[in-house]
Amino acid sequence: MFNDIQHTIDLLESQKYICSREIATTIFLAMKMEKPVLIEGPAGVGKTDLGKCIASALNMDLIRLQCYEGLDEAKALYEWEYAKQLLYTQILKDKLSAVLESEQTLGAAVDKLAGEEDVFFSDRFLIPRPILKAITTPRPSVLLIDEIDKSDSEFEAFLLEVLSDFQVTIPEIGTITTDIKPFVLLTSNNAREMSDALKRRCLHLYIDFPEKELEEKIVSLKVPECGAYLIKEVVEAVHKIRKLPLKKEPSISETLDWAKAFALLGCEVLKKDVAIDTLNFLLKYEKDIELAKKHGKELFVQ
Amino acid sequence: MNTHNERDDHHRIKRKFFDFIAVLQDAGIQVSTVEVLDMFDALKYADFSDKTSFKQILSTTLVKDYTDIPVFEKCFLEFFEKRINEKGFDPDIFIQDTLANESLKEKFDISESDLEALENSIDRIIDEVLEDHGDLSPRDMMKLILENPVLSSSSGAIGNLIFNTRSKFAPHGGGQNEPDADGEDGDMEFLQSLIEQRIRRRLLEKNTGKKIFRRDEYLLTKPIYQITLAEVSEMRELIKRLGQKLKNRISLRKKRVKHGHIDIKKTLRKNLQYGGTPFRIFHKDRKIDRPQLVVLCDISSSVSQYSRFMLLLTYTLQSLFSKVRTFAFISNMVEITPLFMEMNPERALNSIFSDTDFTYGWGSNYGNSFNQFINEYSDALTGKTTVLVLGDARNNSNDPGLDSFIRMKEKSRNLFWLNPDRKHLWDWSDSIATLYMPYCKEMREVKNFHDLSDFIDKLFISSR
Repeated sequence: MFNDIQHTIDLLESQKYICSREIATTIFLAMKMEKPVLIEGPAGVGKTDLGKCIASALNMDLIRLQCYEGLDEAKALYEWEYAKQLLYTQILKDKLSAVLESEQTLGAAVDKLAGEEDVFFSDRFLIPRPILKAITTPRPSVLLIDEIDKSDSEFEAFLLEVLSDFQVTIPEIGTITTDIKPFVLLTSNNAREMSDALKRRCLHLYIDFPEKELEEKIVSLKVPECGAYLIKEVVEAVHKIRKLPLKKEPSISETLDWAKAFALLGCEVLKKDVAIDTLNFLLKYEKDIELAKKHGKELFVQ
Repeated sequence: MNTHNERDDHHRIKRKFFDFIAVLQDAGIQVSTVEVLDMFDALKYADFSDKTSFKQILSTTLVKDYTDIPVFEKCFLEFFEKRINEKGFDPDIFIQDTLANESLKEKFDISESDLEALENSIDRIIDEVLEDHGDLSPRDMMKLILENPVLSSSSGAIGNLIFNTRSKFAPHGGGQNEPDADGEDGDMEFLQSLIEQRIRRRLLEKNTGKKIFRRDEYLLTKPIYQITLAEVSEMRELIKRLGQKLKNRISLRKKRVKHGHIDIKKTLRKNLQYGGTPFRIFHKDRKIDRPQLVVLCDISSSVSQYSRFMLLLTYTLQSLFSKVRTFAFISNMVEITPLFMEMNPERALNSIFSDTDFTYGWGSNYGNSFNQFINEYSDALTGKTTVLVLGDARNNSNDPGLDSFIRMKEKSRNLFWLNPDRKHLWDWSDSIATLYMPYCKEMREVKNFHDLSDFIDKLFISSR
């Protein structure tokens, strides 16, 4: 458990995740209040990483549910393993007839079989999916529901139920509840807006591209071979590039790639020609690269 | 300070937070009860000396729509920032705002609950006054408060105090106070100044949210042709924000329609594991048709400002449509879609308006432009296309090209005309709006940005 906001920042830093005070505040609060967090923001600012790092910083299990269009309860909650049930009945055919042999009427046989139903609808034939796993695991866990905006709104409605009570009802087995509530993080790329009901249940965290100082810190932690001076220049350039009217702004991971490229090329300062040759590490559209080249003089000093 | 007072202070601070929530709501941010409870819950863990995390606590619990964050920032700045020093946020400052003045309490032997009742009724009167007639000076308002029957009927120390203050305040108030005025004069002035302070503060708070909201509202309802150059850039931010909102709302509304026909291939394949018994049936997803949009904008000077905003809005919402093609015309029709692909909307717009390709001859020529559209670009029109024409139909007495216009209508699914002119001015001077009108699904008057976004919003309901 995080003790306070500074402790949150420090522990995450030990996992090589540099977070702003804002992020730490929300995460710390959410833990204390046992509330889910809805994280929004542009792609590549470390929304998913945040979940992973929280889990490893607190030594919790990470259970991840990747959302996509058409994701349903069977893939998110639990599923009966029909094929296995079928196989077992096939193999046990003889045994079944032996058991049922003693019965005289069809009705009695059905009753007897019904009495044995528990055998076929037990944990043995249940495939737990992420949400059920998060509820049944005896260890504290982080449930990361990634890209919730990709899922359908029916699924969102279903999530509401789970998020409010943390209990799951399986008709054949009963209701499963938990004493250790998982810490739930939902991430969204704003492909569509989440319903008000879901938002009300969550704390909201918007992660934007980091400030210069913070990004420098991130780069120096992840690409230490780059050297403080070069890192400063790289981040400076990236921030200038983000201000251009681009199709897709470079994310943190792309900044890291770029910095790594310079380190590998043995640069000590940011040279304009090298920078322009390696722009494709940073920008993923031809048009964006051209645009950055055009502005080369303003972007790169040397 | 004893525990009793701490609890009172706590209560006062709480009220301040309610005031802040009211400011947010005035500014147009929706805050529900659950969120308010969450905020108070979260404040338990707050370290007030840390400004950043204090702000984040409020934002993370109250603001759930990221497009509202800029508005929240503004409200926070107005409401808190001015009361926060380097050491952070000091709740004591809030307490000083109130009438909870020890000296007042001691001097007049007023109980805490009496004092609170007084505060409450003052607040209520201010609220009522604001609703009825907004622009009273604080001094006038004070007069009102002192004369208010609710307050006058208070009993005990408060009643006395108010009675005395009132007679002192009103110059023609009679002579009752004169004989024993000596020592109390100062006290009454003291009360006066406290009340006046409270009124001012209250007015300021009350207006914070509304001011922000009104500024937005003002821009959105201001007739577009009156928008000044300085306001244009402000507008741009606003359009971006509202466009995003509109987009989010519309995409939420568009639920994917499932349960089309049975997907035989998938059903067979998936059920092989059950020995071919169709345990699970799979349906084909029926795709939702996103409307295709063709926008024809008159960019002659009389309507250019409208076209600018229309195009900006169109491209903010681009992802809602399966295809958007935009055309601009004065006397010639030119496709401008590629421009928007190459550069950001802002630069594209500028390059369009500085281009001379559009004019041969003089002034708008709707007829020629429509003819040209049918001849050169009729492939843009399909049964799924919605056509928007933006213009005032001032055709400069040219041939109206009605045949081409009818062809456009026939080849598309819907045809709407947005006319910046006031309705009674349609057909005025050289405008031939009503000539085109019968062939449009609707000809609509758009004065301001609200009208534009309203139209787009409705477009998605009607086009399905």
